[in-house]
Amino acid sequence: MKNRRSARLPAKLSPTRRDESAAQGIWSGTISFSLVAIPVQLVKAVEPGRVPFRMLHSRDYSPLLRRMVCPKEGKIVPPDEIIRGYEIGPDKYILITDEELEAVSPERSRTIEIVEFIDMADVDSIYYDHPYYLVPAKGGEKAYRLLVEVMRRTKKAGLAKFVLGEREYLVAVKSSEGALALITLHYREEILSDEEIVPEEGTIDAEEKSRLKKIIEGMTADFNPDKYADERRNKMTKLLRKIAKKRAPVEAPEVEEAEGEGPVDLIAALEESMRKVKKNR
Amino acid sequence: MMRKVAEVAGRRLTLTNLEKNLYPSYGFTKAHILEYYRRISPFILPHLKGRALTLKRYPDGVEEEFFFEKRCPSYRPSWVETADIPQHDGERMTVCLINDLNTLTWVGNLASLELHVPLARADSPETPDAVVFDLDPGDQADILDCARVALIIRDLLSGVRLTGYAKTSGQKGLHVYVPLNRKEATFADTKQFSKAVAEVLQRNYPDLVTAKMTKGERKKKIFINWSQNDASKTMICVYSLRAREKPFVSFPLAWKELEDLAGRGDPKKLHVLHSEALRRTERDGDLFREVLVKKQKLPYL
Repeated sequence: MKNRRSARLPAKLSPTRRDESAAQGIWSGTISFSLVAIPVQLVKAVEPGRVPFRMLHSRDYSPLLRRMVCPKEGKIVPPDEIIRGYEIGPDKYILITDEELEAVSPERSRTIEIVEFIDMADVDSIYYDHPYYLVPAKGGEKAYRLLVEVMRRTKKAGLAKFVLGEREYLVAVKSSEGALALITLHYREEILSDEEIVPEEGTIDAEEKSRLKKIIEGMTADFNPDKYADERRNKMTKLLRKIAKKRAPVEAPEVEEAEGEGPVDLIAALEESMRKVKKNR
Repeated sequence: MMRKVAEVAGRRLTLTNLEKNLYPSYGFTKAHILEYYRRISPFILPHLKGRALTLKRYPDGVEEEFFFEKRCPSYRPSWVETADIPQHDGERMTVCLINDLNTLTWVGNLASLELHVPLARADSPETPDAVVFDLDPGDQADILDCARVALIIRDLLSGVRLTGYAKTSGQKGLHVYVPLNRKEATFADTKQFSKAVAEVLQRNYPDLVTAKMTKGERKKKIFINWSQNDASKTMICVYSLRAREKPFVSFPLAWKELEDLAGRGDPKKLHVLHSEALRRTERDGDLFREVLVKKQKLPYL
C-alpha cells in the first residue's frame, strides 16, 4: 500500500485546542473515598506550546526515522534483538527481562482512592509535576459538582496513589474553577536537596528589609496569565505564515510502507521460513 | 405466544417463543438453541467474556431477515453487564458483555443465533489478544483448499517460532488464530503482520492464495482477509452457532485432524454440527483454550 504523507501546513498552527485523543480521555475509572464513588475520565489539562518541526532529508524531503543502531556493527538492530540493561559501571550492565520488569510494574488502577485530605497551601509548588482534568462520566455529574464545591470552600485537596501508564503516582485532586483537577506530584526522593542553595544565615538590616518589602508591595498585582504570551511561539507562527505565502511547500516522496517502516526484516524472515516449508513438502 | 419463566443461576428470565422453529429445513427450535448454548456455555463463555458483543438476530429464523445489533438493547435486564466503548465519532456506545450463563441465555432468547466479538477486550479495545487469518474461499474453491492454506500458514509461522490454532468459520472458511496476549500488542502491528504473511503466501502460491480485497481476484483461490485485524472488526466467536440451513458451529480443529481431513478430500467432515460440537467438547475440552492464555510476540514488529 502507498503511504501518502502530506506537508504540514501552517494552517494547523491554530491556538491550542483539544484534539480528539484528548476528548477521548487518557484513563477512565472512579474517584472514591469513604462511601463516595464518582465515575470520571482523565483528560489533558495542558498542551505544550512548542512549534513542532520534522527532520527531513534535504535531497528528497523524506521525513526521517529514528532507528536503533548497533555502534559495533553499524547496523539497525531489529526489535526482537533489543534487550534492557541497567548500567552499573563503564561498559558493565545487569540484564533484566521483560518478565522481571512486569513483575514489579504496578497493576493498572481502576479507582483513584483518596486516602487523606490535605491543605493544598501546604504543598510547595516544587512538588507539582503535571496537571490533568477529571471529567464526570455519565451518572457522576451531581456527586462531582458537590465534591468540587466542598473542596473549593474548605480549600482542601484529596491525596491518592494512582497508576497511569507504567508508573504509580502520588496525586492531588483539587477543585479548579468549577472542575476537578488532578495534579501528579513528585515523590519526596525526587526533590533535589536545596542545602547548597540556601545561603548561610546572617544578620539582616531592618531598614533594607522594609525597603525591599515596599518595592514588592509596589509591584504587587493579581495573577493574570492573559497578560503574558509565548512570544517565541507567536513569532514562529507569524514567520511560518509568511513563508507559506511566498514559498511553495515541498512534498515528501511516496514510500512503500514495507520500506522505511521495518517489516523488511519481517518479510525476509517469512520468505526464509517459506523456503523451508516448500523444501519439506 | 408461549412464555416460560426460567431460573438460571438464581435469576429469573422470561423466555419467549421457545417452540419457534428457527432452522426450518432442519428442525431446530429456539428451545434447542438455548439448550445448545447452555451445554456449550463452560467452553464458549471464556471466549466471550469481557468482549463487546455484536448480536446477529434472526427473529423469524435463518431463512428470513436478520439484523446486526451492536448497541446493547435498552430493555436489557439490570444484571446484564455492559461496557461503554468509544466509537469513531468520539461518542460512546453501551455494548453487552456475555460474562455469564444468564446473559448467554437472554441473548439466545433474542434469537441472536450468531455471536460476534472483537479481537480485543472491551477494557482495552486497542489491544488485540491475537492475530487472525480469516481464510475465505472464492468461487470454485472450497474448505479443503482453506485447510491446505491453513496448514501452510501453520508451517510458515512455526519457522518464525509462532503457534497458531485453527477453527472452522461454521460457514465455508477457516480461521487461524495466533495468540499474543501481551499488552504491548497493537492492531497496527497485527494488521501489518497478517498482511505480510498473506502477501508472502500470495507470492509463493499465486494459484491458491490472494491477499487482494477485490472480488474478481478471488476465483478458485483462498482470500486471506488480513484486514480483520482491526479494532472495528468482529469475528464469529468459537462455538457460536451459524445461521445456515443446518445449525453448524464455528469449531476448533486440531492440526493433525486438519491434515487427515485435507488428505482424505471430504469437505463435509469440515462442517461441525451442534450435536458433534457438544459431544466433542464434552469429551476433549476446549481445543481453543490456548488462544486465551498463550503469550507470544510478533517478530520484527
